[in-house]
Amino acid sequence: MGAYGIFLVAGLAVGAIYALSGIGLVVLYRSTGILNLAYGALGAMGAMVAWQLEQWNYPEPAAWAAAILLATALSLAYGLLAAPLLAYREPVVKAVATLGYALIILGIANYFWVEAPRRLSLFTDQMGFSLLGLRITGTRALAFLATLAATFGIAVFLKWTRVGLLMRALADRRDLSSMLGVSVLRVETFAWLFSGILAGFSGLMFGDLVRPNPAALTFLVIPAIAAAIVGRLQSLPMTLAGGLLLGVIESMTTLIKPIAPYRTAAPFIVAALILLWLQRKRRLTFVGND
Amino acid sequence: MTDDALRDKNGGMAVAPSFRLQRWRVLVAVVAVALAIVIVPLFLNALWLRILISSVIFTIAATGTAVLYARLGLVSLAQVALVGVGGWVTLRMWHATGLPFEINALVGAFAAGVVGTLIGLPALRMRGLYLALITLMAAAGFQILVTGTQFPNGGTGVLGAAVNSVFMPRPFLGRSDTAMLRYVCVIAVLAYALIEANRRGHSGRAWALIRKSEACAMAAGVNVAFYKAWGFALSGFVAGLAGGLLAGTIGVLDATTFPASESVLLFALTVVGGAYNWIGQIMTGLLFRAAPAFLNDIGVDGNLAYVIFGAGLLHAIITAPNGIAGQMLDLVARWTSPSVKR
Repeated sequence: MGAYGIFLVAGLAVGAIYALSGIGLVVLYRSTGILNLAYGALGAMGAMVAWQLEQWNYPEPAAWAAAILLATALSLAYGLLAAPLLAYREPVVKAVATLGYALIILGIANYFWVEAPRRLSLFTDQMGFSLLGLRITGTRALAFLATLAATFGIAVFLKWTRVGLLMRALADRRDLSSMLGVSVLRVETFAWLFSGILAGFSGLMFGDLVRPNPAALTFLVIPAIAAAIVGRLQSLPMTLAGGLLLGVIESMTTLIKPIAPYRTAAPFIVAALILLWLQRKRRLTFVGND
Repeated sequence: MTDDALRDKNGGMAVAPSFRLQRWRVLVAVVAVALAIVIVPLFLNALWLRILISSVIFTIAATGTAVLYARLGLVSLAQVALVGVGGWVTLRMWHATGLPFEINALVGAFAAGVVGTLIGLPALRMRGLYLALITLMAAAGFQILVTGTQFPNGGTGVLGAAVNSVFMPRPFLGRSDTAMLRYVCVIAVLAYALIEANRRGHSGRAWALIRKSEACAMAAGVNVAFYKAWGFALSGFVAGLAGGLLAGTIGVLDATTFPASESVLLFALTVVGGAYNWIGQIMTGLLFRAAPAFLNDIGVDGNLAYVIFGAGLLHAIITAPNGIAGQMLDLVARWTSPSVKR
């Protein structure tokens, strides 16, 4: 194993965060038609507040709770206040609007936490276990297991609960669902809620495993989108696989000397190739469905 | 049909403003250009001269994003990366050949045009969200690529990166900062002219049809694929030109100038400034480079500029699709013709 094992584990942990963020994006996109470019910013705000609470010596559970609650609240705020105003616009316009939200949050976060080297340490860092001669920290294991659990849990939720059914209905045909009496806003609120919780959690994990920096966390949304693209912005299992794969490719290419400096580009190259592959059979569309 | 009615039918996105020339608009243009080129440079200190130079340079880049967004409804999130491509090639050319700046910058602009077309190729079949995502991936990829290769600064090999930078000299006509500001303003006017000529000619009519309906455009015999690619080529060309000018002003470039976040921000500000009107891109350039400096000058944290930009973007998208420029023009229109009810 040796070096390969170390980079594989590191890659799986980062990949799990990509996957988790990707799943948060997909859940939201399926039910609301909004690709939330502010997703990373939500997590950034959560992680920064968690870091701040740690500096002020608050108990750690408070930091965790604050991170996740704040991200969720910010997600819901956009979903309930701004998103309805754009309900009938094209998907790309909706996505660009969330960019505005991302800039607002990023600006506020940068204002309070200027660029500086920081470390966010969670109690899971001290935990850990050995697997096949590799030491795996609790945070990495948690990121990985939480991602599996979230994917599975959300899939079950969509399949077996009533709200899940309504979410799938919205994903299929929004206008028809609304005509059949589905309360669109209520169902969408659930999507914003889930997505916000996932954003807060992945922000916290990324802040711990990489670094708590508002800009870095905000633009974590780009590899997360790459993972979501692997799942065609629709499929949860494919997004999971995509995120893990992207993380592992990115991490393992560290071992290939000539391309090592460019390894972080791996998610974008893979995602771009997949986008090209997905559209291979498309012709110029006559009906305006993107 | 009034402009407003057209706007509503298009889901809030305005269509091309009417082609008729309004005399006062031309007047505003002439006065603005004269002010920018002749008078303003005389009253600025060294810092603000530099800030305005880079504002004008990004105005040039923004004309590219604006033409794609306003004419074709395409969201390109890789414009600053294309500025980087233009700058890279310009520097590479100068260090390899020592030719005059203008030739290097033109080669850089053509290179960026080609790269822009390549990024835009998927748009021939993809639209909307997926295209925006492809350009976002391209911008993120370029950021990492250029951080690895760095910009040519007199080193050996194809990449030409050295530890100690050799500076590319300023263009002959822009030796001082004042002259350079005038120089970039003149290039900006030329870039505007290039875009405007396209908008009024064949391409503009083709774009207008494509924007309405690709099916109609095809039925009318418009080569949809070609004119979309042409939009990207043009947008990449002006971005490359801006990159060349940036390299020409500073002499060296640094990878940290061209992260994906800047591309995203430039697009956001294109919408905030107003993509449908030429004044909008001047606003974009000023917001992009001058607004943070201005806020610093009056003692407000530059980071709050992001908050303002974000709020401006939301506002522009939800209620004011024509951006700041559109609102300014509406105001002027209200003054000049009180009979027009808005």
